[in-house]
Amino acid sequence: MIEILNNFFNGLGAVLAIGPIAGIIAGVCVGIFFGAIPGISAIMAIAIILPLTFYVDPVIGITMLLAVYKAGIYGGSISAILINTPGAAASFLTAQDGHALTKAGKAGKALGMALYASVTGEALATLVLIFVAAPISIISLQAGPIEKVFLLIFAFTVVGSMTGESISRGILSCCIGMLFAMVGMSSITGATRFSFGVPELMSGFTFLPLLIGVLVMPEVIDAIKKRKTPHYDLILEKSPNPDDNRVTWKEYRSVFGTMLKSTGIGTFIGALPGLGSSAAAFLAYGEAKRTSRKPETFGKGSLHGIAAAESANNAVCGSSMIPMLTLSIPGDDVTALLMGAFLIHGITPGPTIFYEHTDVIYAIFAGFLITDIFLLIIARAGFSFWTKVASIQRYYIFPCVTVFAIAGAFTTNQDLYDVLILICFTVFGYGMRLIGLNPAAFIIGFILTPLLEQNLDQAVAIVGKDYGMILASPFAWIFTALSAFSVFSAMRMKKKEKKKVAAPSAPERSAS
Amino acid sequence: MSKIAKSLLAITTAVAVTLTGGAAFAEYPEKPVNVIVPWGAGGDSDLTTRLWADAMEGALGTPVVVINKAGGGGVIGTTFVASSKNDGYTLVNAGLSNVLVTPNFSKTPYDFSSFVPVVKLSSVPLGILVPADSPYKTFDDFIAAAKAGRLTQGSWGAASSGTVLASIIADQAGYDVKFVHGNTTAESMVALIGGHIDSAVSFPPAFGPHVKSGRARLLVLNQKMAEYPNVPTFADYGIKGSFEGWSGVFAPKGTPPEVIQKLVNASGKVMDEPKVRKAFENMGANVDFRHGEAWTNDMLLNYDIMKNAAAKMKQ
Repeated sequence: MIEILNNFFNGLGAVLAIGPIAGIIAGVCVGIFFGAIPGISAIMAIAIILPLTFYVDPVIGITMLLAVYKAGIYGGSISAILINTPGAAASFLTAQDGHALTKAGKAGKALGMALYASVTGEALATLVLIFVAAPISIISLQAGPIEKVFLLIFAFTVVGSMTGESISRGILSCCIGMLFAMVGMSSITGATRFSFGVPELMSGFTFLPLLIGVLVMPEVIDAIKKRKTPHYDLILEKSPNPDDNRVTWKEYRSVFGTMLKSTGIGTFIGALPGLGSSAAAFLAYGEAKRTSRKPETFGKGSLHGIAAAESANNAVCGSSMIPMLTLSIPGDDVTALLMGAFLIHGITPGPTIFYEHTDVIYAIFAGFLITDIFLLIIARAGFSFWTKVASIQRYYIFPCVTVFAIAGAFTTNQDLYDVLILICFTVFGYGMRLIGLNPAAFIIGFILTPLLEQNLDQAVAIVGKDYGMILASPFAWIFTALSAFSVFSAMRMKKKEKKKVAAPSAPERSAS
Repeated sequence: MSKIAKSLLAITTAVAVTLTGGAAFAEYPEKPVNVIVPWGAGGDSDLTTRLWADAMEGALGTPVVVINKAGGGGVIGTTFVASSKNDGYTLVNAGLSNVLVTPNFSKTPYDFSSFVPVVKLSSVPLGILVPADSPYKTFDDFIAAAKAGRLTQGSWGAASSGTVLASIIADQAGYDVKFVHGNTTAESMVALIGGHIDSAVSFPPAFGPHVKSGRARLLVLNQKMAEYPNVPTFADYGIKGSFEGWSGVFAPKGTPPEVIQKLVNASGKVMDEPKVRKAFENMGANVDFRHGEAWTNDMLLNYDIMKNAAAKMKQ
């Protein structure tokens, strides 16, 4: 422990120099900027910056890439909160609650909560990375396809707590999402499913246009429909109460428990290679809602909702480095890219990295924490500008949203075909709204299904005819129990809500 | 012939040359060259292409822009280039998977003949690995066990280059394995060192660190590598064929030979630069600079092998 601290402070010394600090500041600015543009994801921003870092000192190059990554993830929540265009799966939960706050004139509060939760989640996960990386990575290796199947089944139960009045409609929406996820080439059989000979469909529907089409564009259509109604607000007035546009210390303290729990979930999921930030955000959000005293506020501007989604999402950033650095296993596309950056600099991630490259690796760790501080300062400085954006008249905002949506759909693969997907799913998403289906449950089904399918196939291939092996893992029992508990508590919550509606005069009871 | 006639001839020839091919391509490249990577940002092919493109800017005197056009298992971006203008300003990152394997396994709007090969940049030999605590110490042990019982092997997708190569190997050695498909080479290594599968096929960038740390044992490789002097090759076991992943650059069919030559020359220059070689080597990829007819013929031979394998696997 003393040795780790000693190395860490040496690293801190190495990072606190002009080169690395300049790299971090540049990285944070670039990351926030690219992240805030819908359609440019953190990974694209890193790929664009990557060649710049080939020939500089690894400490500067890698800390800069990480700054882009972290700031990019936070940047994605800015557009999600202000104009309801999430750039990634994980920030779509932030959009749910954050944009509801923006509509209530509290954009500053939502932005603040997202930033503080992001930084808290990231910093805590980084501390875990620095101090207990090695033991965690050994545990994470034990989780194979069989264990992941059960973990994913547990993640699916989040649908129960995501849906509104009707659980059956939520499940139906989720199933439709699962069906759409089937389109494209199956990695298991190599067969192309539901592509009808269209080569563009061979890898399935592109995620971003689908997400924006289902979640964002119906909002725009709704605004057009309502424009002539007298009560329709053209301007989202910024709330006059200054406390409504910042996060008070009391509020931060009240969500701190949620953040700790969500960071824990995010760190755990992040350390398991291959599940990614969206599964972590779903689980943390569902858990926060389940244990909340006011679950009905989730999706309607709950600070706990933002805190849970953002801290879990960002904790994944830190902890996905654990398997990458200690075992040279990249858990997702971003860590794969970062691992490439390490390799290009001649640093091979793996258990020996801490001995062979002690100076570099601890300097990079220190850089992680310094990045959090700069992210906090730089992003905080932008708030007054961002909240002004939120109070622009809506007839300027919505055309801009439409342009961003189309541009975002196009940039992912530079393909006009993706714009067509956007248009089709806009119609589809609006139709879902009209008949009361739940777009969030649809997205969950769409995101989790490929993961479940692949892990299930791997599990089946591994056990062969020995089906008992599937239930031999203790993980299987733990997650099955958790899933059952989650389903049970979602149903109990629904019952209580019904009672409340039935007897509105009855004294309100705590729902926990 | 009189002096005047001679000089007239010279002038007309010069003018003719300038007016035809010469005029259009004399200044190639006069604008930025785009290289389409048919994969998402961050993969091995993306990184090698970016390293090359970055260095080419100096040699060509114009920016070489890498554009990721992912989707359709590499088909979308590759198709895009196949149907692009053949003026040398749109190139594609070609590799085993998108130009040799996929056209044989799926209906693609292009095939090998839709392109002119420009250069091969790097290659990585395929290897077969087992976990460190596996009872199979040699490839012979492995073959015997796979013949006797049911062994699992990690790969990355049923129609992927890994599974095709592994199937060809298994077919020649006369054993059978049950494939466990991840999305990437890295994912199958996770399952391998976690002890969830019996074996895996993979490339040095993905398996190198695990072999060095002693978590995985490399049984056999496509070719001898300095890092693994004691590891036998497939040829040692009588298995014929080239089992390597590679990354290169193709141009659309009909791209003028002068343009191709210019790209080949510039690539030759940059692939000789020590810092570029070093960057490739750090990634675990061997610089394997090839161009011209011999290389194309090698690829055509492999294309036919893939075609036969595809026919066999589809049965």
